[in-house]
Amino acid sequence: MSKEFSRRQFLNLSGATLGAAAIASMGMNSGWAHNNKTLPVGDTSVADYSTDVLVIGGGMAGLFAAVKAHDAGAKTLIVSKGRLGSSGQTPFAKGIFSFDAKEAGMSIDEFVNKVSYSAIGTNNPVYTRQVAEHSKARVEELREWGFFDSAIYNKSFMRPINERNIELIERVTITHLVKENDRITGAAGFSIDESKAYFFSAKSVILCTGAGGFKPNGFPINDLTHDGTIMAYNIGAKVTGKEWNDGHPGRSTNPAACYDGWGNMFEQKPSTTSVGIRHDLGMEANVMAYANGNPSQMRPGMNNKSSYSSLKAPYRPEGLQEEQRQSPPPGGDGRDDKRRPPRDGQGPGSDGQRPPQQKAKGKGKGDNGGPPGMGGSIVGGSSAGMAIHKSEGLVPINDKCESNIPGLYAAGDALGSYMAGAIYTQIGSSLAGSAVQGAIAGKAAADYATGQKGSKISSAKKQEIESEIFAPLKREAGYSPAWVTQTLQGIMIPNFVLYVKKESLMKAALAYIEELRDHHMPMLRAADMHELRLAHETRHMIISAEMKLRASLMRKESRCSHYRIDYPDLDNENWEAWINIYKGANGDMQLEKQPFNS
Amino acid sequence: MKNRLRNYNRLLLIAVFILLPGLLYLLGDFPRRTWLKELFSILTIWGFFMMLMQFFLSRGNQKSIRQGHKMSQVIKWHKVLGYVFVSILLLHPFMIVFPRYYESGVTPQDALNTILATTDSNALVLGMVAWCLMLIIGITSIFRNKLGLSYKTWRVIHGVFSIIFIILATIHATNLGRHMSTAMISLIYALATTGVLLILKIYILKPKAPKL
Amino acid sequence: MSINKISGCIGCGECVKACPTDVIRLNSKGKAEITYPADCQICHLCRMYCPVDAISITPEKAIPVVVSWG
Repeated sequence: MSKEFSRRQFLNLSGATLGAAAIASMGMNSGWAHNNKTLPVGDTSVADYSTDVLVIGGGMAGLFAAVKAHDAGAKTLIVSKGRLGSSGQTPFAKGIFSFDAKEAGMSIDEFVNKVSYSAIGTNNPVYTRQVAEHSKARVEELREWGFFDSAIYNKSFMRPINERNIELIERVTITHLVKENDRITGAAGFSIDESKAYFFSAKSVILCTGAGGFKPNGFPINDLTHDGTIMAYNIGAKVTGKEWNDGHPGRSTNPAACYDGWGNMFEQKPSTTSVGIRHDLGMEANVMAYANGNPSQMRPGMNNKSSYSSLKAPYRPEGLQEEQRQSPPPGGDGRDDKRRPPRDGQGPGSDGQRPPQQKAKGKGKGDNGGPPGMGGSIVGGSSAGMAIHKSEGLVPINDKCESNIPGLYAAGDALGSYMAGAIYTQIGSSLAGSAVQGAIAGKAAADYATGQKGSKISSAKKQEIESEIFAPLKREAGYSPAWVTQTLQGIMIPNFVLYVKKESLMKAALAYIEELRDHHMPMLRAADMHELRLAHETRHMIISAEMKLRASLMRKESRCSHYRIDYPDLDNENWEAWINIYKGANGDMQLEKQPFNS
Repeated sequence: MKNRLRNYNRLLLIAVFILLPGLLYLLGDFPRRTWLKELFSILTIWGFFMMLMQFFLSRGNQKSIRQGHKMSQVIKWHKVLGYVFVSILLLHPFMIVFPRYYESGVTPQDALNTILATTDSNALVLGMVAWCLMLIIGITSIFRNKLGLSYKTWRVIHGVFSIIFIILATIHATNLGRHMSTAMISLIYALATTGVLLILKIYILKPKAPKL
Repeated sequence: MSINKISGCIGCGECVKACPTDVIRLNSKGKAEITYPADCQICHLCRMYCPVDAISITPEKAIPVVVSWG
């Protein structure tokens, strides 16, 4: 009998263990737990590289940064978390803006003015002008490399890299920028394939690390966690734009299925877009959902201010009414704006006019798509944690994508260039802007490097960084990064925290985020290199969440993609300014205003 | 009596080499894809089983065959099916990548290049070797008369090549095949082993037997 | 599941490289294996880069999803 009992007990136990293991393997459960390391402890090695210009990131900006830095005569190296052209948002960006004055029927000045009008002054006209001036040249280069011939970009991206013999290191996650003697001296990170730390000594560094989010469901940015921004912030760089929000909605059925949510867009070859300036919020659907419940029930015509009930609608400049769905422009439809695939309000079934079964037409020629039945009603927050493209990131100190740290540059979504302002204005400019800024930063960083003597990262610094990198691997127990990320999502995504902002809720969220920062961040564990990457990503997301809440609390007005229910009006007297964030002398987060156009 | 036996043998062949693999293909828990891809898949599977069938439509199987069939008829079928399966299996790498032409991912050419570049996969390299061997077997069969070999020499070479080929092809297919359920793998191994033994029997056992 | 099944894998490793979120790894037999399913963002890049079309994907996320409103 006792034998029988113990057998049954054993079966129960093993069943429970199996169940727990299954759940744990799916990234749930196990907040705090023992670290079941799968790697031999202490068995870490180090790789050293030295270059003139280090490009971090393998998307559109990184491609051009590397090519132009090389062409300007600098020894160049690209390091990417993933594969060139197959990580970040670039693989999903299908429209690229190409400005042609003749075709557009407007001059560059007119174009810049129109964007500024739509952006309610939030744009930086220097960078707006840049994209118009250089987009066509970049598009032509891309065409030469075969970019427009395939829906997947690795091959065309590899062409200029191979032709120039530019060194490329993939699957290495950069976690640290190194600053010594008040200038950049390189970067460090680790391989996700082996327990190896990577050190890159460089004369100048270009961050092409994209933007980020809270690993949201429905937007293909789960490898983007504002890594570049936070690394730069940690060494004293100024960061801007954290109060703006991308408001893309998703579908309520399988909201995490980005591919399915975007119809067949990911399968399309890229194409160019011409001038078409909008004021796409994406926010309005969120505000309306807050006021009325899920607006998927809306009928055409309901999409006006009266349907906000008692809420004041977000301000929209005269003459820029929300786009009604119309026949797509050439190369248009959802893909017209590359990186933020369906424009706001035209996202995966976001406007009330698009039937939710857009899925049907989505499948195109491919097979293997999801089963029928996608669609249904619409939910918010598909890109939660991301701002408007080019509106958040390092603060540029000039028109050369240079940051306040000597030798540190940023391009694309890693640079807070405000190229398009704090709202979506020019369709397709996001991808074009990354190409244009990448090229400018590449040239500038190469020029800077020529004037510098090479300096190696000191060994003391290396040791310090190496121990920081591997710390989660060495912990005997700790919080699982997946669990902390889910907790963070639970704080930052539901309840319209970042979409319909109000002081009390944001303060509550901030208190919780500070708790994660102070008590969870130092105790993240990692069992293998994959989890180590998750741990560092989680750290970055926590800091980014704090920035977003602090900046959103500070901006006591509503403008573009920042909407406060307690301050619903534009406040031009106090808020014709951007908010910059930097690390104070005591390590605290400091915020300051920088007037527009300065 | 002979007719019944003949019919029985034919039915058995059809059942084992066509219906059974088809059934296993249908019953397997594999994602269904476009009709073109499914067509290519089932063609390849049948091609592979036709290849296995060759060993049973040969001198090695004389004992069973002689009871009801004319050897010349059997060899005629051996030839016909041989050319059919060789064509299918020679084409199968292309059939795998061809549907990409209609899709937006890698191009068929790039896909093929990737496949050919994957030399660290043993099963894949064996497949490539088997493919070349199959080409040689096919060509030496078509041009047998022009080779200047005696029929017996040619037959030995043909048999040896076929045995090497079937071993490589079986490892390749069971390791990399898309529709490889346990049942399918067992069936292939059973048939391949029997087939190889049938041929070996001719070359290893026969010489020891007293000459007639 | 997100990435549902990998059948007919030849072990070329294209999907491993193509995955932005490091979901797939080659196992000890040299074949692609869905190693970290919770991190799959269901973007289909692995499928599009696969030379033998071995990967099938379903739209369900492997872990519960958090959305703004539903």
